[in-house]
This record gives sequence, C-alpha cells and structure tokens, in this order.
Amino acid sequence: MMRALVIAGFAAALVVGCQRDEGRELPHGPPRGVAFTAVSDTAAGVIPGIHPQVVYGALRNPYTGNAQAERDGRQLFLMYNCVGCHGGRAGGGMGPSLRDSAWIYGNGDADLFGTITEGRPNGMPTWGGKIPEDQIWKLISYIRTLRTKAEPDPPPPATQPNR
Amino acid sequence: MLTSASRPLVAAACAVLGAACTGKKEASASLTHERATDASSSPTTFVQPGADKPGEWVSAGRDYAGTRYSPLDQITAANVANLKVAWTFSTGVLNGHEGQPLVVDNTMYVTTPWPNITYALDLADAHAPAKWALAPPTVPASKGEACCDVVNRGAAYGDGKIVWNMLDGNTIAADAKTGKQLWKTKLADIDKGETMTMAPLIVKNKVFVGVSGAEMGVRGWMAALDLGDGHVVWKAYSTGSDKDVLIGSDFKPFYSFLRGQDLGVKTWPPDQWKIGGATVWGWITYDPETNLIFYGTGNPGAWNPDLRPGDNLWSMTIFARDPETGAAKWAYQLTPHDMWDYDAVNESIVADIDIDGKPRKVLLHAERNGFAYVIDRTNGQVINAQPFVFTNWATGIDLQSGRPRYVPDKMTRQGVIIRNICPSSTGGKDQQPASWSPRTKLWYIPATNDCMDYEGTAVSYIAGTPYLGADVRMYAGPGGNRGELVAWDPAQGKKVWGVKENFPLWSGTLVTGSDLVFYGTMDGWVKAVDAHSGKLLWSFKTGSGVIGNPISYLGPDGKQYIAIYTGVGGWMGAIASANLSPDDPTAALGATGAAPDLKRYTAPGGMLFVFGL
Repeated sequence: MMRALVIAGFAAALVVGCQRDEGRELPHGPPRGVAFTAVSDTAAGVIPGIHPQVVYGALRNPYTGNAQAERDGRQLFLMYNCVGCHGGRAGGGMGPSLRDSAWIYGNGDADLFGTITEGRPNGMPTWGGKIPEDQIWKLISYIRTLRTKAEPDPPPPATQPNR
Repeated sequence: MLTSASRPLVAAACAVLGAACTGKKEASASLTHERATDASSSPTTFVQPGADKPGEWVSAGRDYAGTRYSPLDQITAANVANLKVAWTFSTGVLNGHEGQPLVVDNTMYVTTPWPNITYALDLADAHAPAKWALAPPTVPASKGEACCDVVNRGAAYGDGKIVWNMLDGNTIAADAKTGKQLWKTKLADIDKGETMTMAPLIVKNKVFVGVSGAEMGVRGWMAALDLGDGHVVWKAYSTGSDKDVLIGSDFKPFYSFLRGQDLGVKTWPPDQWKIGGATVWGWITYDPETNLIFYGTGNPGAWNPDLRPGDNLWSMTIFARDPETGAAKWAYQLTPHDMWDYDAVNESIVADIDIDGKPRKVLLHAERNGFAYVIDRTNGQVINAQPFVFTNWATGIDLQSGRPRYVPDKMTRQGVIIRNICPSSTGGKDQQPASWSPRTKLWYIPATNDCMDYEGTAVSYIAGTPYLGADVRMYAGPGGNRGELVAWDPAQGKKVWGVKENFPLWSGTLVTGSDLVFYGTMDGWVKAVDAHSGKLLWSFKTGSGVIGNPISYLGPDGKQYIAIYTGVGGWMGAIASANLSPDDPTAALGATGAAPDLKRYTAPGGMLFVFGL
C-alpha cells in the first residue's frame, strides 16, 4: 500500500509533466555526441516543499546484492548530478559525504528511499516524480558499495605528483 | 565516462525524465521588491568611501578602488609584536566566513554566512554589544544551491543604509542606526540554482549586486538597484544578445576578437548560453574619474568544454560599465573557451601607476588562471600579464591579440584525463582579494599553488542541481607549498618576494600606512609581515581557519585595530567545515584532494577577532 502511494505519486507527477511538455523540443542538444542531454529546464523543480507524511518503513531494496544494479547506480549517480553535490566519489561537497558513517536522516533502505524521494529541508532536492522508483533503488545499491571492494569506479589514488 | 552497456539505461532514464520534466516555465521577470512605506526614494547625501575618513572601512575593499589599503599607521613594524586580542565576537555560524566587517560611525557591521544575519556592534562600549541584529526570514533549501559553502562576502554602506545579499536571492537594506529593514528585493531564484553571495558595491544612489551559481547552469547577470527603494534600475546579463548584455553603440572593446554583434549568443552552441554560467559573484570596483564600474564574470557552464565549442562570451570577462545606465564601455575576456574553471570574478583594483616612465590608469587583476593582469582601465588593453604562480596551461598572454597562448596538452575534453594542469580550478588565486599599497607600489596577492587532473564528463541539465560535467582532482603544485603570499610589482610585471604557506592562502590581504601586510591562513594563523620584505613580524593562532579578509579601523579611543573573521570553509575549506571524506580526492569539485589533511589542523568556528596594541 505504501509503495502504491509512492508509485501513484510518481505517475501523477509524470502526467502533469507530460501536459506541460506538449510539443516542446529539448532546448539544447549537445554538440558532438555527448551522451547526456538536457533533461529539464523547468524551474518548478527540486526544492522540497511540504510533503505528505509518507512512511517508508517497510520498504526494502529489491536490488540488494545485485552487482549490475550497483554499476547502474553509479551511472545514475552521475546522470542525476548527485556527483555535483555529494562529490565525485560521494565524499561530499555541497552536500554531505556518503562515504562516512554519519547519516543525518538514517541509512536503512527506507530512510534512504525517503530522503531521495522527498528531499530534505537543508538542500537535498525532491527527486520523487523525477527519478523512477527502480532507479532510486539502484542509486541506493551504489551508495551501499562505497568504501567496499565492490565500489564501481572507486576514487583515484591520492598521489601527489608534486610533493 | 559511459560504457556502451550503460547507455541504454541512461537513455531510458533520459526518456522518462524528458517526458516528465521538460515543461518550461515561462521565463518571467521574477523581480519583486517590498519596501517600507516611509522609505526615502531620493537620497541626497552620499558617503564617498575614501581617504577622507581614514579610520573607517565603509566598503568591502575599503574604498571604491578596492585597494584594501588603510592609511592608519599606529601599528608599526616596531610595535606589532605587542599586538593582542582586544575583543572577539562569535557569529554562531559554523560555515566558512569569507568577506569582512564594515566600520562606520563607531559601529561595526558583521554579516554572517547563511542565515545571513547582520549585527551592528557598538564600538563605543568595551563590551561591543549589538545595537541591533537583523535576521531576515530565509529558506534552508538555499543551502543546497550554493556551490562552495554558504558563504557571504560582506555588506555595503551608503546614505545611512547597510545593504547585503541573502543566499536565498534577496537583497536587503536596513537603517544603519536602527536596523529597521527598509526594503527587500528578490532578484535570484533558488529553483534555478541562483544564489547571492557577493558583497554589494554602493556608488551614489545605486547598489550593484550579482548572482552566483555557474556550477548550477545559471545564466549570469549583475543588477543596479536604487539605494532609496530597492527597485531594479538596470540588469545586464553576461550571456545572450547585445540587448540583454547592455552592449550598445558606445561599446569599444580593445581587441578584435571581442567585436561583433550578439557574440554572447554566437560564441555558443545554440541555446547553451541560456545555461552558460558567467555569474557575477566576485568584487565590484569603481573609478569616479572615468565613471566606470568594473567587475568580472565567472566560468562558462558546464565545466565540460566539449559541450560548448566557441569562445563562450561573455564568460571569463572583465566588464567596464556606466553605472547610471549599465551600458558596457569595454570588455576583455581573459580565458576564451575556458577549459579549467578559471572564473574571472576576482577583484579589479583601480590604481594609478607609472609604467615605463608614464603614468597609467590601470586595473590590477590577479586571475584564477594564474596570470597577474595590468589592464588600461580606460580601454581594456592589457599592459602586461605574467604568471604569479606556477602556470602551465598557457605559455603567456599575447598582447597583440589579447588571447592566451594555449598549451595543447593541457586542453581538457570529455572522456580523457588531462594530468598535472597548473593552476587548479581553484586558481592561482580565488576570490580572496589582494591589496595595493600606493606607498610601496606593491600588490599583495594571496595565492594558491595547486595543480589538478581534469576530465570532462557527461552531464544533464536539471534545474536547481549542479550542472558540472567534470571529474577533477587537485593536489599541491611544484615545491609542495599549497599557498603563498606574493608581493608583485605591477609596473615590471614581476614578483618581488613571496612567503610560502603550507595551505592554500585563502584569506584576503590588508596593507597599512605603516607598511604592514596582514593576512590569515587556513590552519588558523593571523599574521603580519613587513610590506617591503615579507619578514614575519607577528602571528596569532585562532581557533579556526581563516578565509576572511582583514580590515583596519580607528576605535572611538583613537587607537588602530585590526579585525578579521575566522571560520574555515568555502570551497577549499569545506573538507573541514562540512566534514568531507578525505579518501575521495574528487569531493568538493576536486578541492578535497588539495587539502586532505586540513581537518587535522582546524575545525569549524565562526568568530570575529579584533587585535590592538
């Protein structure tokens, strides 16, 4: 039931988005075969507003232990610009590090799903309605690999060629 | 870099998002302003920041010229060893404290990082109690739109008003005596990644402010507001048509590559200029003689240069504008088609110097790209430009064409890691301002000696999220010292002396009438050195790293004081203020790699320190 609520919310957002988008072309295609394209230039976007109190407590990541989902999650981490805030390998920057043991809003599957879906008041965008549910789970799968041997695309070595 | 296996996944995601999320909101002039009903709309008197009040610090750079030169001379090389803490004030904010306080009429005005509270501290009372504090309502979500910590670079004073910018995109004016809010103008939209962090400049009855967010796909602009009621008098975009950029018939750039119609559109792929960055988040200066304001624009977006073939005008550009109309008189682009994030927002100090025996009206601009530019401020011609830190992306600046001589091996692109580019994105010098002494004729540049590996990466534009497109890792430059105080002779275009620092030198500098230079370090030292030799004369260890800018003022007791914020943070210091993970050298847009050890030396803590004899 809770999941149904989330999916319904996503679908509703999608419908609204489609209505807004009718007949419109992407505003700026990449010039030479660059893979990612503009996905949105709407300003009605990612700042968290007032959300219904959704309880995610029963949710579990369906991709737990799935190595392909972990690799996909890394790509999604780049694609949705998570990398810009949370750091090239999730060590943080504009947003907190995801590599350490501190979790402001909890690190259970449901906590992470809720944080990504609803956003948080101190800067975490609202991704519900923008990232499909299965991709949110893949992102969580990637986050789980950080600082483990399974981490796809781990940090480059901290060599200091000039020291 | 994407593998072929991952492409279908991404394509599918884009398709979903494309359908769901490309609804375009009509680009509205979302400018609103509220004003107090009794606000005067026609100020009649103006404070001319300058030498007439040597004991005050009425503007971010002390004067219109942005010299950060204080004529005060009680603290000297002979007695500076006796300098002690006079008093302190905690701002209660643990983020990076860039900027500087103001001192006007025996009152010190302190503006904090987000939530951008301004305090008026009474210097006539030994306790320095607050006459008032104003904390305008603000939204925490704005913190998520600030690329490089939730900093604020200070307030401005004019006609009895204190004016400052809020991270959330509002400019506030308060009565300097009472703290009553006089007006508030909403200029920036955090939904689009726009924030405001810079210190306004007030000239006559206008307040000049600009937008931050070139890492968020913002389209840069600067605006002039009426000091009386806050309404927008003019707004000049940094990209787009000549009409939007306020380029008209009297625009006369010195170099031919800057001449042509609508270059702010034509030097970009179609529509890329709409999200092209070139924000205005640095310092503004003014020259009453030529009646021009000067400021620089930031990097083009995204950082991946393959997304934007062309010169990407008017990013990386110094503009000279008429303050009344905003009309551009000249412009000079320092780094055409930036491939390294070398914003041109650093201060352009107005100075009159003799070069080859002739008096010249110049701007002194120490650029992120590693070159110290001396520019004729009447026409935008580069007189000399030499590297003030180790620089290898260009072999020099061609004075005929005005363009850098690029080193092909250091040109970045998508999918290739280009190694050992110097300086790094944080620059030979970032926003922390230099000072200029008309006595020693030297220019005191707080420098960073870092290099980097840089790879352009694919990126999606999603409004309100980082539009970055680069994987960057920084590290110490040749010699291992990551910072240096550089004393530069602009007439000769050469270094006179330097003081090496372990960490990037991320504070501004102050030079005084007694030929002392003050600055702070990221590991928390405040230092005084001889302006002629760089010899260390005094130092004091504060509790947190210094990224603020020292000022000097005369107290009501007639004594000279030095004031500076401590409080580590900002782009380079985020590892300590936001507790980033040092095992990811690509964190904080690559800056973490340059200071992985900073947390061992300092911890967060926002304070004002005031020193006196």
